[in-house]
Amino acid sequence: MNSIYLKSKDVFLDIVNPKDYIQLDRVSTIYQSLKDSIKKPLKMILLYGRPGTGKSMFLNKLHQDLSSSQSVFLYKTPILDESEFYKTLAQDIFEVRYSGELNFTQFMKIVESKNFDVVPVVLLDEAQLYSESLMERIRLLSDTRTIKFVITLHKTEKEDIIAKEHFQTRIWESIELENASSTELKIYIQKKLMKANCFDSANMFTGKSVHRIHKITNGNYRDTNKLLYTLFDIYTIYENNNKITAIKTEQVPNKLIEMAAIHTGLIDA
Amino acid sequence: MLNIIDLEKRWFRYKIKSYIPHAAIVSSVLIILSIILIYTTQEDSVVATVEKPLHQNLIVQSESITIAPIEKIETEPIYVEPKPIVVKKQLPLARPQYKEVTQVKLSPSLDFMKKMQDSRQPYYKNEPTNGRSRTVRKETSTTKKVIKTKAAPKQVRQDPVAIKKIQIKRQNTQNDIFEIIERFKKNNNPALSLFVAKKYYELGEYKQSYNYALITNQINKNIESSWIIFSKSLVKLGKRNKAIKTLQKYIKQSHSNAARILLDEIRSGKFR
Repeated sequence: MNSIYLKSKDVFLDIVNPKDYIQLDRVSTIYQSLKDSIKKPLKMILLYGRPGTGKSMFLNKLHQDLSSSQSVFLYKTPILDESEFYKTLAQDIFEVRYSGELNFTQFMKIVESKNFDVVPVVLLDEAQLYSESLMERIRLLSDTRTIKFVITLHKTEKEDIIAKEHFQTRIWESIELENASSTELKIYIQKKLMKANCFDSANMFTGKSVHRIHKITNGNYRDTNKLLYTLFDIYTIYENNNKITAIKTEQVPNKLIEMAAIHTGLIDA
Repeated sequence: MLNIIDLEKRWFRYKIKSYIPHAAIVSSVLIILSIILIYTTQEDSVVATVEKPLHQNLIVQSESITIAPIEKIETEPIYVEPKPIVVKKQLPLARPQYKEVTQVKLSPSLDFMKKMQDSRQPYYKNEPTNGRSRTVRKETSTTKKVIKTKAAPKQVRQDPVAIKKIQIKRQNTQNDIFEIIERFKKNNNPALSLFVAKKYYELGEYKQSYNYALITNQINKNIESSWIIFSKSLVKLGKRNKAIKTLQKYIKQSHSNAARILLDEIRSGKFR
């Protein structure tokens, strides 16, 4: 079935793929500053923001962009076991296989024994899940300047405390990611659709409809993706039921946006 | 797979829910407005109910007033007709008659009497005045009537002939004399008795003028005009010699020129 709605629906699947990264003015500026920060002799970079602001996408994009020029290691899911964490890092960065338990002291010996011309970058996503002691050890590892850490944190009240207590004095660069504005969201949606050659679908999003979407999602990319996925799912169902003529196709009607929001739980009906 | 029908129902419920606050605001505003309107209209109606019966009553009253004379005119034309005619005729006639009444008002004797009332003196007991006082009272009552006619000109207007009768000078002077005698009895003022003597002399009642001049001289011996009236009254009563003697005695005391002139006139026969 080659329906434009079905194709558009797939665009908004909640998958973190650096190929789907959308260049927005503000986001690209932030990204550039992050890239510049990695080049600087900084020990640790903190990337923080509310869930769905694009932190993971940022890390993925950074990994994709840097991997050609230097050794970059991305850990999308946190390695909660401390020994496993050291063992993974030793294997990936230093190519040292360790069969038994690897503690911090042993790992530090490995780190100190190796010396790189270009400091390898370790990207840790969802760092708020790491234990406090492990975070402290990550800080100690970064102090050796043998490994550079870029960590992402959810900006919640609790995570703010972690950031303050453990990284306030040790972080030399912190970048905050925010929700998109209504205009940015319109660009994001349209660019995303056009990237997938869904031009008709992209034209359906007028300022009014995007404003309604922004009001529901507060410009959160993840929520927007969820909403638009459901929206195009509804379109597809209407199309399959031969009821597409009953709804507007030249412009996304508020009714369908609200229906999608109800289904995704963004609107409490 | 989405259940579109269910989702549409949920959306419909959501829409209704979303309109509830707006509807509540609008309805509350409407309720407030309607309450205000009702309140204001009630106030207006209260004012109207207060005003309307008044108008109605007024109309009824006016109708009753207007209807009553019409009926009377129709049924009893003899009684009804003369009333407005009398009123209409009296109104133009009233003005010239009123002027005549004002002439009565300007009699000087009444002002004089009022002034004399202020100074009170011991009551004069010697004179028997029962009969006189009665007559005086009667006549004062007539004067009061005259005053009343001034205040209420309608009565005066009705019979102008009566007013003309009151205007006779003699009656006024007589009234004045009795009034002054009454005052004199109360005050024993020689000025009053002298006035009475002069008035009686003018009226030709020389016996009375002699008496009152004598009373005046008894009260105060130094009043020139009193001695002159006394002497003139004696002459008129035919007591020429007694008059000459009294004048001579008075001239010796007072050296009055008027008394001398009168004495000369009596002697020469100019004054008889």
